[in-house]
Amino acid sequence: MIERTPWLNLVTHAILFTGLFILVVPIYLVIVAASQTLPDVMAIPAKLLPGDQLLVNIRAAWEEAAFGTKFTNTMILPTGVVVGKIVIAALTAFGIVFFNHRLRMPIFWMVFITLMLPLEVRIVPTYAVAANALSPFQTILDVTGFSWLINAVSGIEVALEWNLLNSYTGLIMPLVATATGTFLYRQFFLTIPDELVEAAKMDGAGPLRFLWDILIPLSRTNMAALATIMFVVGWNQYLWPLLIITDPSYGVAAVELSRLVPNMNTTGGDIPNWHWAMAGTLIVMLPPVAVVIFMQRWFVRGLINTDK
Amino acid sequence: MRRAYFKNNWIAALVVAPQLLIIFVFFYWPSSQALYWAFTLEQPWGGGNEWVWFENFAYLLSDDRYWQSVRVSTVYALATTALAMGMALILALFADRQLRGYKSFRIGLIWPYAVAAPAIGLAFRFIFNPSAGVASYLNYAFPDFWDPIMNGSHAMTMVIIAGAWKQVSYSFIFFLAGLQSIPRSLTEAAAMDGARPMRRMMDIQLPLLTPTFFFLLVINITDSFTDSFGIVDTMTSGGPARATNLMVYKIYEDGFRGLDYSGAAAQSIILMILVISLTFIQFRYVERRVHYT
Amino acid sequence: MKLGFISVTAITAALCASSAFAQEEVKFEYWYGLSGQLGKVVQQTCDRFNASQDEYEISCIGQNGYANAVQNSIAAFRAKQHPTVVQAYDAGTADLMMSGEFYPVHQMMTDFGIEIDWDDYFPGIANYYASSKGDLFSMPFNSSTPMLYINKEHYAAAGLQAFPETWEQFEENLKALKTAGQECAYGYAPSTWIDLEQFSMAHGVPIASNNNGYDGLDSEYLYNTTIHVKHMENIKRWYDESLLEIRTTQGGLNSRDSFAQGECSHYFGSIASHAAVGKLVDGKFEWDVAMIPVYEGTERKNTVVGGASLWVLSGKTDEEYKGAAEYLKFLATPESEEFWSTNTGYIPVTKTGFDALVAKGFYESAPYKGREIALQSLTYTEPGPLTRGIRLGGFIQARSEWANEVQAALQGDKTMQEALDTAVERSNAILNKFARTYRGKELP
Repeated sequence: MIERTPWLNLVTHAILFTGLFILVVPIYLVIVAASQTLPDVMAIPAKLLPGDQLLVNIRAAWEEAAFGTKFTNTMILPTGVVVGKIVIAALTAFGIVFFNHRLRMPIFWMVFITLMLPLEVRIVPTYAVAANALSPFQTILDVTGFSWLINAVSGIEVALEWNLLNSYTGLIMPLVATATGTFLYRQFFLTIPDELVEAAKMDGAGPLRFLWDILIPLSRTNMAALATIMFVVGWNQYLWPLLIITDPSYGVAAVELSRLVPNMNTTGGDIPNWHWAMAGTLIVMLPPVAVVIFMQRWFVRGLINTDK
Repeated sequence: MRRAYFKNNWIAALVVAPQLLIIFVFFYWPSSQALYWAFTLEQPWGGGNEWVWFENFAYLLSDDRYWQSVRVSTVYALATTALAMGMALILALFADRQLRGYKSFRIGLIWPYAVAAPAIGLAFRFIFNPSAGVASYLNYAFPDFWDPIMNGSHAMTMVIIAGAWKQVSYSFIFFLAGLQSIPRSLTEAAAMDGARPMRRMMDIQLPLLTPTFFFLLVINITDSFTDSFGIVDTMTSGGPARATNLMVYKIYEDGFRGLDYSGAAAQSIILMILVISLTFIQFRYVERRVHYT
Repeated sequence: MKLGFISVTAITAALCASSAFAQEEVKFEYWYGLSGQLGKVVQQTCDRFNASQDEYEISCIGQNGYANAVQNSIAAFRAKQHPTVVQAYDAGTADLMMSGEFYPVHQMMTDFGIEIDWDDYFPGIANYYASSKGDLFSMPFNSSTPMLYINKEHYAAAGLQAFPETWEQFEENLKALKTAGQECAYGYAPSTWIDLEQFSMAHGVPIASNNNGYDGLDSEYLYNTTIHVKHMENIKRWYDESLLEIRTTQGGLNSRDSFAQGECSHYFGSIASHAAVGKLVDGKFEWDVAMIPVYEGTERKNTVVGGASLWVLSGKTDEEYKGAAEYLKFLATPESEEFWSTNTGYIPVTKTGFDALVAKGFYESAPYKGREIALQSLTYTEPGPLTRGIRLGGFIQARSEWANEVQAALQGDKTMQEALDTAVERSNAILNKFARTYRGKELP
């Protein structure tokens, strides 16, 4: 398709440049701060040109925060979140879009409500679940009297326990349990024309075959978008890992980064080593940026048209 | 809506089971415990509680400061969503034209999402600091033009800009993905009919983008209500004089820092009801205009 | 017999059992709130303790912030996975005290036969963390008190010499600095800790009834009736007359950093910032610290400690408690106090520790010179009923009420008196709720 649209092309470039400029200014300032000395970071008025301390600061941040051992380690968390979320979200959305049962909307809303209460707010009871993931079932058994029944009949005391503290499962599971992915897949699945479903049924393809052979390949770009976002979200998780990981061998990079951030809430106040914290930010940013770049290859127009 | 379905509901049950199991254990079970506290006076270290019915709610709803927090949150949510989605949509539409160099633009526009939160707070402080930041140059030219420390609406503007900034990349990436799943044959056919690029955008791409648009609208509004704690904490601490005291920040401040679990739980319930009703309205009235197939 | 023991714990337990033969060290956890540079130093105290003996192994886990440390400990406590020792900040301890879920350190040291000379602790510090009988609940750790920081070069330029001892003199000095062309004479950030709490201590006026809450839960705030009102009205007037400039963290550079940049001539801050200010100023100008002023006609009283203390939580084994006791004892040795005071701006908490530093000449030269004034301020008088400290529930929210109302008054939306009245009224509702939450219980 060849069109000549010189003016529009100019406008396009102008708009993209402006947008890029607005979005990149804060990052530029992070780099500026990461390349300055401590007095320069604090200077009045602010110095807006990079200094020459970037490598020095990056080295300092690297040594201060022990990122080295954490990096490979940390990959497991966002990867787990991405895989878990995509699989679970695609399955659930499939179950509520392509089947005609009365629970479709209730299930969708049940999943959706999980977006409404951030982890910070429910962190105390969520920790209790992570300390024993089977505690809900134990409680249900106890309350309904089943525990007593089993005990009376067989003499076995029911004590379910599955401790997820200091484990990747414990890190990943609560982060997988949210609705964004399900909602996105629902939106996408709803655009799949009925004819495609009919055709698949005509060919004798079962639901799972249809999901695997048709829907998954079609949803590739959406999946790439979701994976990119979820990877970044998972990578930058901070509060939850801080709480449930007390064993340094499971530590994640975002928590290490937060240790670099000067503590301004003590009555005394810390030395504001913002230049190190910013250099640390640049280090911690690398893997997500790599993922963004890597995921680009998935952002290609689908070869198969949905032929509406 | 859809007319063609698969029949086997056992498979449906099987595919939704994992999600339901996980949200039951890791969301509903703990959340219901947290929400139960809303009707009690809970001792944080677990020494017991006293059932007080709706007292915590009555206290909140009769407090004009609380209503102010609701107002501020609503303004924040609408403003950040409009700003972020507007900008992301324009950028995505133009990036989707795939002119030369668009791949680097794409990476550049998504990249900001990867920056960790504390760094963003500091970067924006560099920009908005009235006496030493980028904004201070404005204050040289027009004295007292910009004072987010003591002026509530300036502080709010600052928080909205930072909050929207964080969401632009997020919306951009999904808009772009949405645009890319529009079959090329459609736009090509229109081009053959002599429709110019801008016309194709309006007539073909935008309507077909509505499912993504709706997804982002709902997610952005929900997120700006429930996930705006960090920005407020690093930039304004809810001040000055409660001008940026968003609901979720207040929940965090009262519950997490102040250990008033019951008050925070009651606020969480009100926040949930508010966001659920907003979402419901969107599903009821906005989704009708969404073109799925 | 147990059914369905899907057990990660079983495996780890088995591993622990086998490794127990290899080493006999008792392990226990300590969660601390300090982060950044200060957190690093805490970690070093742990390493030093572990290196100093081989019976116990303390595992120190930074929680990046006081609020996180308390909150995470609560979450863990409710699931019975809590640390043995936790660092809790001054304002966050009322709930912990009421819960009774802690092992008073005084009791613990007695139970394990560890001799500690409790009278050796500075009373301004010990009382803050002690029962009404004077027995310590928690171990004083990072301790500080507020100071007035003064840029001596600005003073010289304005022809000033003497540091202000009264607020009246302070105001005169502000005016002199302004006349001499100093743009920012006083970098101010509203702070309950300094403007309200320590101010009231130094003036010997109450913040709340029941001796600032020590004598019962049914307390009410009183600060809208004391000299505190006059002080805040002065602050407002100074702000209107540009004698002070507002410098908060939220606005970019906070008051400490504005001072350290040589922009502002005064700022009030904790003695703990002494180290950071020294590092930031880096010899660029002469500066010093003084005790916070009092109003003329007031008899100066002692200030009290700020910072955090170490609490030992209940529900642990005797071995772990023994380890915790040893660690706390280790922190109280003069060597540890010296290490801590050298690497941070915090002050020693025992007389022996302080005397040892004085004898060494620690306070005679930069960068530590001046820090002894903090101890003068803390020990200015023997703590009386109004200057022991503050024991009020929901104090974090009360602080925020005060700050928001004061901001509203500074904006000119209301008078300072109205603002403080509202803050008191709203904070009393918080106290009332706290008292109801713990109905039937008494402060230990």
